[in-house]
Amino acid sequence: MTNQIKRAEIDAPRLPSKKDHPAGKCLMSRRKMLFSSGLATATVMVSVNAGAAAAKVPAMVTTYPRKKIGSLSALKVDQPLGFKYPDEGAYAQSMLVKLGTEAGGGIGPHRDVVAFNYFCTHQGGDLSGTYKGDTKSLGACPLHLSTYDLTRHGILISGQAYQSLPQVLLELQGDDIYAVGVFGLIFGRYDNLQG
Amino acid sequence: MSTPYYIPETNVPLPPKGADVITTACDYCIVACGYKVYRWPVAGGRDGGPKAEQNAFGANFPVEALGPWVAPNQHNIVLHEGVPNHVVIIPDKDTKFVNTDGDSSLRGGCIAQKCYNPQKPTRDRLKSPMMRIYGILQPVPWEFALDVAAEVGSYVRTKHGANAYGVKTYSYQYIENTYAITKYALRHVNTANFTFHDTPSDVSSTPGFRDAGFDNFGPAYEDWMNAETLLICGTDPYETKTILWTQWIMKGIQNGQKCIMMNPRRTAGVAYAEKNGGLWLDVNLGTDLLVVNAIARIIVENGWQDAEWIKNWVNNKWGSSSGFGQGTRNTPWQWRTTWGKFQTDGYEDWKKWLLSQDEFKPEYAAKIAGIDVKKIYTAAEWMAKPKGGKHPKTSIMIEKGFFWSNNTGNTQAISALGSIVGAGGRPGQVIGRAGGHQRGGQRGGKYPRNKSPMKLPGRRRRALDTDTWTMSGHTRFAHVIGTTWIQSMCGSQQLAKRFEELTVGNPHQVRSYDKQDVIDTLKQRADSGGMVVINQDIYLVDPIGNRYADIIFPAATWGEETFMRANGERRLRLYNKFYDAPGEAKPDWWIIAELAKRMGFDGFDWKNSNDVAEESARFSRGSRKDFNMIKVAAHREGKTLHQKLGEFGTNGIQGPVFMEDDGTLVGTKRLHDTTRKLSETGPAAGNVFNKKLTHFNSQTGRCNLQKSPWSLFSDYWEWMQPKGNELWCTSGRTNERWQSGFDDRRRPYVVQRWPDNYVEMHPDDAKARGIESGDMLMVYSDRVPSLKETTLGVESSDYSFSGQMKAGNVELTRAAVTGVAMVTRHIKKGIIFMDFLHTSQPANALEGRIVDWISGNYNYKMGVAEVKKIGISPYKKTFRSMSFAPRDII
Repeated sequence: MTNQIKRAEIDAPRLPSKKDHPAGKCLMSRRKMLFSSGLATATVMVSVNAGAAAAKVPAMVTTYPRKKIGSLSALKVDQPLGFKYPDEGAYAQSMLVKLGTEAGGGIGPHRDVVAFNYFCTHQGGDLSGTYKGDTKSLGACPLHLSTYDLTRHGILISGQAYQSLPQVLLELQGDDIYAVGVFGLIFGRYDNLQG
Repeated sequence: MSTPYYIPETNVPLPPKGADVITTACDYCIVACGYKVYRWPVAGGRDGGPKAEQNAFGANFPVEALGPWVAPNQHNIVLHEGVPNHVVIIPDKDTKFVNTDGDSSLRGGCIAQKCYNPQKPTRDRLKSPMMRIYGILQPVPWEFALDVAAEVGSYVRTKHGANAYGVKTYSYQYIENTYAITKYALRHVNTANFTFHDTPSDVSSTPGFRDAGFDNFGPAYEDWMNAETLLICGTDPYETKTILWTQWIMKGIQNGQKCIMMNPRRTAGVAYAEKNGGLWLDVNLGTDLLVVNAIARIIVENGWQDAEWIKNWVNNKWGSSSGFGQGTRNTPWQWRTTWGKFQTDGYEDWKKWLLSQDEFKPEYAAKIAGIDVKKIYTAAEWMAKPKGGKHPKTSIMIEKGFFWSNNTGNTQAISALGSIVGAGGRPGQVIGRAGGHQRGGQRGGKYPRNKSPMKLPGRRRRALDTDTWTMSGHTRFAHVIGTTWIQSMCGSQQLAKRFEELTVGNPHQVRSYDKQDVIDTLKQRADSGGMVVINQDIYLVDPIGNRYADIIFPAATWGEETFMRANGERRLRLYNKFYDAPGEAKPDWWIIAELAKRMGFDGFDWKNSNDVAEESARFSRGSRKDFNMIKVAAHREGKTLHQKLGEFGTNGIQGPVFMEDDGTLVGTKRLHDTTRKLSETGPAAGNVFNKKLTHFNSQTGRCNLQKSPWSLFSDYWEWMQPKGNELWCTSGRTNERWQSGFDDRRRPYVVQRWPDNYVEMHPDDAKARGIESGDMLMVYSDRVPSLKETTLGVESSDYSFSGQMKAGNVELTRAAVTGVAMVTRHIKKGIIFMDFLHTSQPANALEGRIVDWISGNYNYKMGVAEVKKIGISPYKKTFRSMSFAPRDII
């Protein structure tokens, strides 16, 4: 598993940035992550590794900022850290957690570090403080009791939400964890990047 | 079929100011939340913007919690009058009733994805009539399909009798359609071979309620909130009628309501109730009657019963014996009561009986039910023990887990418990069903009971059991409307085998281009003992349509035609048409009318759905959803019935509806409302004051207190009880999936969540079998009992399960269904639970095809099965689909 960190380090200089792609495109292909996650336990890393090949794939999303949100060595299992992403606006509050068990889209040597938006995609209930270590879940939402499975891309366990909890896409560079994108529309917004 | 991958969107178009706004209600569960459809043309790109003045909501984005947010699953593109239009469909944020707070479940919340869109998984909607020619369903014109169906149907009816023409139909898919279907089937075809989607014969789902005098849907939603103690049996409303829970019961619990849930699964609602001071009665399957009567016993022994209520509202000896005004003696009620098993002389007589039954001693009941006996005492105390001289306000809610385990016994027992604690008839003190589907039934004909050849003790006729009738080869023409039939009924795999023999296994198959040849071939099929199948539906259903049907009629549905329907508190709403039905699909009332006209029946010349609704109005008089006066008011004002009901928007109006002297319409908050004051001068003009408005449904208007002997059911229960390595096997709905999944199978997100049927299993049971979450299981049984013929017998005891066994009328068959293991703490040990209606993995195949010999219903929720691991599902090691986390996280 250590070689994965290494790969990330090696690939790091090739990571896309706004400067490289002034058209406002991001190489972080969400589709790629979705399709690849799980089976080969290839997650974000795959697209990072894809390098030049990925550059040929038409980008799917507008630019998400690349924001450092924490460091791997500081994370403790089942102790979520809060951060804001993709901006400082409404419903940007999110959480970064080391689950201690492999998860879809997880990074790190154990592929167990994931991040999610904190707002229920049913009616916007605030899920902060509802993390459960025994079930690796967020919820129940204080409004209408929806619960989400953080090992499975935030899929609804039981409840009323109209979609999974938006997953914040992560990259690892050395020990630093970066947020680089969001899967799924954040509650309250009509567009993740425009509010 | 839909892709298993769901790729979430990260933006959504907003409706612009000036977008069309159309009201409707959800198509799915009983609650029927109010919705608004926002519609605007795709051409021109005039989407709304994020500022309040730029969008149809008048809201600034990002919106606040509970605000008019649009999830991408709430947007779709449809054709409206031939022009592509965006639609955004979200719960009505302004509605005053039902889904107050603009709340919605996941099911209704994503209803925009129901709409036909050729670029989405709904692309396989049925768009054209089809006929099986050379073994393949091929598109044909309406005229061709209708002519053949009518001619063959008419022939079968004339040659083999009306009972050879079977009609198996939904009971709820809008008033206009059910009226047309029942007018056709019952009044004109006049067949006793008729029943609804959820029962083998046309009988009451809750015989005990009927006998006691309770309407299934008397209560108002606010009553469930306002009860101080609420006993919920056989359902978790959070899972299956979500908004009834989140907007009503949950608020009651927050106000201190003590909520008791009797159910072997600890899903979110149960967990929430427990966490907030409630109680979980985790009973074994089929043992509810014992627990209910044990609770009653404790109440009676302590003198906690509501004596004043019993004195005023429970029948004494004279009342119990007075014939009850149930019509002729040949009624279900009569034969259930006259042979002494149920009827009492009133409270003292019932009490004497109750105390004489040793199996109702709390310790015994607790042992058989597998629960802590203290819970029975606690429940009794909460439901009845007076505080400061006042009885608690107690309500009782039941649903299928309860009344489809021991149909007659459980409903008799709960009715008696309800009566002695004063539930029923007062605000916050009610008894009723929670409900499953919505209430859209309106009969256009009377069931011809006297034509049924099936009888019961005392030679009383019972409604024809359409499954045994068909198994016996008597159905020569099966007209199936909007139901899977096979997977919905018990012993599904035996039924499927027989359907196959009678249809595609028959030598007379259509292999011709000539219409007359086609007709002749199908007539020969019927004459040779085979069966012709016609199927009306919105999708091609497997196997009834896909494999067995000769003719398919494509139906138009929700949003594609304007319809009326009521919810679980009898609230009537107009479901507006807002887009074009796909292809040539037509509403069921139209299909029926075209068949009826071809068969020479009169009275089917309707021009539109409002015509049908207006004709049906007078048949609703006196019923729980009496809407006749809405029509009267409409005509006074020069409007149609649909127009007038539409004026009530998502608020609707609760039936029965009355007209005041000044012409205004008033609804009925609750039935059996003993606090309601009706006009002293009686009903004026067309108004109908039915007894059930202020009293109960009996001759005297008081409740009948009835016995509920365990012995009428215990022989089946003991025979069925798991033997050897078997587990109890039951099934039900899960929150995220509605009915057969006809829409949900076409929603990528729900497919991702529930790609296959699943088998919930307690960790101890799983460990003993070497099973882990994600393993692929075979769930099977060598002893699925089924009746060979209709119940056979002369004396009443012959009709019991043991009597039928003795008579050699019970056959043991096999069944096998696969599913994905879900090892979870939220299910009681010794029980497995599956989704009840995955069409490809039908859990009902494992349930005994034995009708409750008193009521005629199946006890769907009480089977047994063995379970073994046959491999590993794709979901065990990947993270995309399913979740194995428990459903009780609070």
